Amino acid sequence: MTIFTRRGAIGLTGAAGVLALFGEGALAQAPARAKDGAVVIGMSLEPPVLDPNLNAAAAVREITYLNIYESLARIDPRGGIIPGLATGWTVSPDGLEYVFKLVPGVKYHDGEPCDSADVKFTLDRLSAPDATAPGKSLYASIKSVEVIDATTVKVTLKNPDSFFLYNVALGDASIMGRKSAATNGTKPIGTGPFVFKERKEGDSVTLAKSPTYRHAASIRLNTVTFKFIRDPAAQINALLAGDVDTFPGFQAPELVGRVRADNRFAVVIGSTMGETILATNNGRGPMKDLRVRQAIAHALNREDLVAGESGFALPIGSHFPPHDADHVDLTKTYPFDIAKAKKLLADAGHPNGFEASLKLPPVGYAQRSGEILVSQLGKIGIKLTITQLQWPQWLAEVFKERNYDFTIVAHTEANDLDRYARDGYYWGYDSKAFKDHWAAVVRETDPAKRAVLIKAAQKMVADDAVNGFLFQLGKIGVWNRQLVGMWENSPTPSIDLSGVSWK
Amino acid sequence: MLEFLLRRLATSLVTLLLASLVVFVVLEVLPGDPAQVMLGTEARPDTLAALRAKFGFDRPAPERYLSWIAGLLVFDLGLSHAYGTPVSKLIGDRLVVTLPLGAMALTWATCVALPLGVFAASRRGRPADWLVMGFGQLGISIPNFWFGILLSLTFAVSLRWFPAGGFPGWSPDPLKAVHALVLPALSLSLAEIAILARVTRSSVLDTLREDYIRTARAKGVPERAVLMRHALRNALIPIVTVGGLLAGFLVAGAIIVETVFYLPGLGKLVFDSINNRDLIVIKNIVLLLTGCVLTVNFLIDVVYALLDPRPKVSA
Repeated sequence: MTIFTRRGAIGLTGAAGVLALFGEGALAQAPARAKDGAVVIGMSLEPPVLDPNLNAAAAVREITYLNIYESLARIDPRGGIIPGLATGWTVSPDGLEYVFKLVPGVKYHDGEPCDSADVKFTLDRLSAPDATAPGKSLYASIKSVEVIDATTVKVTLKNPDSFFLYNVALGDASIMGRKSAATNGTKPIGTGPFVFKERKEGDSVTLAKSPTYRHAASIRLNTVTFKFIRDPAAQINALLAGDVDTFPGFQAPELVGRVRADNRFAVVIGSTMGETILATNNGRGPMKDLRVRQAIAHALNREDLVAGESGFALPIGSHFPPHDADHVDLTKTYPFDIAKAKKLLADAGHPNGFEASLKLPPVGYAQRSGEILVSQLGKIGIKLTITQLQWPQWLAEVFKERNYDFTIVAHTEANDLDRYARDGYYWGYDSKAFKDHWAAVVRETDPAKRAVLIKAAQKMVADDAVNGFLFQLGKIGVWNRQLVGMWENSPTPSIDLSGVSWK
Repeated sequence: MLEFLLRRLATSLVTLLLASLVVFVVLEVLPGDPAQVMLGTEARPDTLAALRAKFGFDRPAPERYLSWIAGLLVFDLGLSHAYGTPVSKLIGDRLVVTLPLGAMALTWATCVALPLGVFAASRRGRPADWLVMGFGQLGISIPNFWFGILLSLTFAVSLRWFPAGGFPGWSPDPLKAVHALVLPALSLSLAEIAILARVTRSSVLDTLREDYIRTARAKGVPERAVLMRHALRNALIPIVTVGGLLAGFLVAGAIIVETVFYLPGLGKLVFDSINNRDLIVIKNIVLLLTGCVLTVNFLIDVVYALLDPRPKVSA
């Protein structure tokens, strides 16, 4: 959204001095590999198997979606839905039948043709009764998939589903070949602009430009290497030493200053789908009481929390991304007011507050916000004890067994307000009113009416103070200034390289 | 001596078997469901159950333990849950990074620490001795991740003499691979040098007090020969012992150093596998490491026998 340049920081005189010292060539230089159309992309997390149908990790989609694989539709950089492997689609008036027309003549990287039987194969792989896809619930509304001819496929739904088109545009629904799907975890084969070349586990994944891609002429990069570097200090060193050209999702805001001080790199702050919340166990102890949750909401000082993220975050008042067209600002639902918070807590029978656990996953934003929240809630007498968990422990203890009072986590999926309508979800929020309301959202296929319903849903969740709504995570993109076409925002997990090139 | 070595070998094998049992039990009670880690928060219970069955977690524990051991006997380590590739390939790929890294660090440590320790012992109580001991204290205190970052900042980011991290592989250019391992090996060896130098110094000092040293000096043997031939050789047993122990510590150090220099080594594989709950990888690596430590200990016993060939009395 905003591009920070170094000019303001060092001043023109300083810049001129550097110019005089090193000559113009040393400034804003592309690395030598740029001549060969090669780029090295740094990532914090390494993906497991490279099959987005069968593995939930965001890193799998970041590498494969729009690069190796394509879906029927695709999510564009602004979060809209545009045609992908399907040139277009028609929807029946009752919203139950979708007919997709495929691009003719598309071939997989192994030379096999991609036709409507593969679409049926993939959608069945995601939604059939015996399917073991992590995203199965996204495709639960599919009743049947019919092959009409080689390039026409008809999907019939059990009920109208206003999210269906979005969901088939996701990386989860990457269309795979019937012959290659079984081995796609280790040797991914898709229809996208890049071919899988090599994987060095623990180190890198390398892709090369696909000669058979239907718009091959528009692809400017020849070789793409994704390099996995977990430690933030090592990430910075790799960038500054020129070993890596970009970190599209840099995770350590406190270290951004060091990259900004180097003229070769641009730091671009964009938006993500990550609502960061103080997830609250509504089914346990004092938190069952609406007044207690309201008190917590009044005690949150989002300004400090955003400052804790070095300013690379936007305050939220509900579980909805601020950059979405249907967003309503609800940050003033329970404005920061310690006196009011204390009174609500006293009314609920906790004049001296209470003790509770705060179980944190091993991610930077949770660590930073955790410390701040201990202090903020401490001011109204809620004494939080921090426990650090590894992700697998967090999944088991917090998410599955619901053995927690509070945790901090960013929900990064799109359209995830639906979690508040789920039975047995880890927040323990159980509201018939919200469930009925959300069912109406899903059924409503008229965009204008749906927008009204979605806005009301945000307000219901905010009013019930289900969780502490903290901030929308920012996407800190760092890249060499000579590299153009990188996504500024992250509407869906993808490092789309089809439009990226060296100047 | 042969009997002594055979007995040590048998003890090692029994220890290894016990270790495998301990590893298996510890991983059984480790919190976290590998299937959930893989499928994430949106997976349904039936999907999780299906994946657990695919991994074989639904079978009884004794059966799983025995099939693991049976697999080990025919060198079949199974497939990694996270990567879908054979565990033996994963470990093999990592060993070609970590073994040379450890060997480089240990060689470097020995080459520097032994002369340094002997030198300090020969200058006991003089400024040179204090200097070496001061360096030793510093080397032990400096955390190797910090030293690694410092080396990387200086020699990779500023001077550009070395890459900041990563490993290019041994082919096509082995020199590039060695080049990539220099900084990590340096940061790994710092503490080793410090410890080894101190042990060498005190061990040499101890032997210098022995009667045979006085005799040698009285015979007119030059001081240099006294130090190298008489004192150092007899001081070597404690040094070799500590050196062997340090080889074990190298693995722990490698986890940190490989993270700082993003080397795809065994240490990083251990770290990632624990985070991914890739249990099949963890248990095989831990057993492999146990095997390595036992082998090193066994080799140390052999070296003892060579250094001190007096017949062993049964313990």
